[in-house]
Amino acid sequence: MNFSLFKTLARRTFTICLHTKNSTAASVTSKTKSFHTTAERKDLMEFFDIKKNWNETNIKVGRAWRLDELRIKSNTDLHKLWYILLKERNMLYTMEHECNENVRLFPNPERIDKVQESMNNIETVVRERNIAYYKLETGETGERPTDDVVNAFGLREKYQQKEYYLPKFMNTRWVRPYLEHGYINSVAVKKFLRLYNEKKYNEERKARNRNYNHVQQLLKRFPNMDMDVLKAEYPGVDIEKAKRTRKARGHYFPKY
Amino acid sequence: MSTRWYPIYQRGNPQLRIFLPNFWMKLVHTPLRQQPNIVHFQCSMEMTKHDIKNYLEKIYKVPVVEVRTKISLGKFRKDIGKGYVVKDDDIKTAFVTLPKTTTFEFPNIFEKKKGDVEDDLKSLEETKKTFKQYIERNRDRSDIPSWFSI
Repeated sequence: MNFSLFKTLARRTFTICLHTKNSTAASVTSKTKSFHTTAERKDLMEFFDIKKNWNETNIKVGRAWRLDELRIKSNTDLHKLWYILLKERNMLYTMEHECNENVRLFPNPERIDKVQESMNNIETVVRERNIAYYKLETGETGERPTDDVVNAFGLREKYQQKEYYLPKFMNTRWVRPYLEHGYINSVAVKKFLRLYNEKKYNEERKARNRNYNHVQQLLKRFPNMDMDVLKAEYPGVDIEKAKRTRKARGHYFPKY
Repeated sequence: MSTRWYPIYQRGNPQLRIFLPNFWMKLVHTPLRQQPNIVHFQCSMEMTKHDIKNYLEKIYKVPVVEVRTKISLGKFRKDIGKGYVVKDDDIKTAFVTLPKTTTFEFPNIFEKKKGDVEDDLKSLEETKKTFKQYIERNRDRSDIPSWFSI
């Protein structure tokens, strides 16, 4: 994913912020006084929790940022929030490590998960915006493209494309073994595929027989059970056929 | 995000930038006594020396003189119950030198505060008391679990 959208938008919002700041600086000062911000600590002590929380057994924190809350934020806000969360996560990792070193319990370890969840949500939102921008501009998602390829074992696989310095046809080291002789046609791969398919077939066959027998036993023990539920549970089994078998008949007179 | 796929760098292209880095770093104790301006970090495996320097300078605003890194191999051990071999994760450690004038002392996080010992004793007394109460209450019904009460 490219961040050109992010870059331009961030720049634009930043410039807008600057403009507004310059024009209304005098009028805003009285209002902004009531606005509370935490003091900035530019230090290695940022890697540690605030002193109040040291030696504490229970540290209460709020919940993670939700997707809907992040969707209404501007790109600059998301960018700032990302770095706050990043620092918070580093702090938590440091404290956790220190606790482990000193054989202590790390208080409220779910804090790490909450921060991680928020970061994942930010990433999702940025990705959404990027996709929307790319669809509008180019008609494509701008995501990393994937290919369906056959791998070295002859099995189908999703391949995430990446850039190469050499184009495919010029890369003789790759072309010769892969296309001309081919892993896919070699004796070893053919043998592997034969055995692999046999194994898969046997697994399926065994599952089929197992289910069929199990349904017969169920019919024997519970002849009046709900057939629709049974059908839903074992969709591959022919229940009418299973009813008529000797295994499904109990020690009582058959109803038919 | 920085561990995502980036376009290949061709000479002359603009420098590749990271907007949302997901590198982590944690500050750890120096195992041996070191100069006061040397700090040890553990960081994500993808980070290079340049990354570490930029990370500290740009995000934490900490001036850095030199960075050296080491990757230590995770331990191989046998799983206690199952017996198969488990390998712990490798650890990348960064030895960061700060400028001569700056010093960093690792804070003592688990220092006992003044009232801590008294608090501990008080809670111990309380638990003893509640246990006594529980014994008292369950004297004639010893087969009933503790959570069952009217």
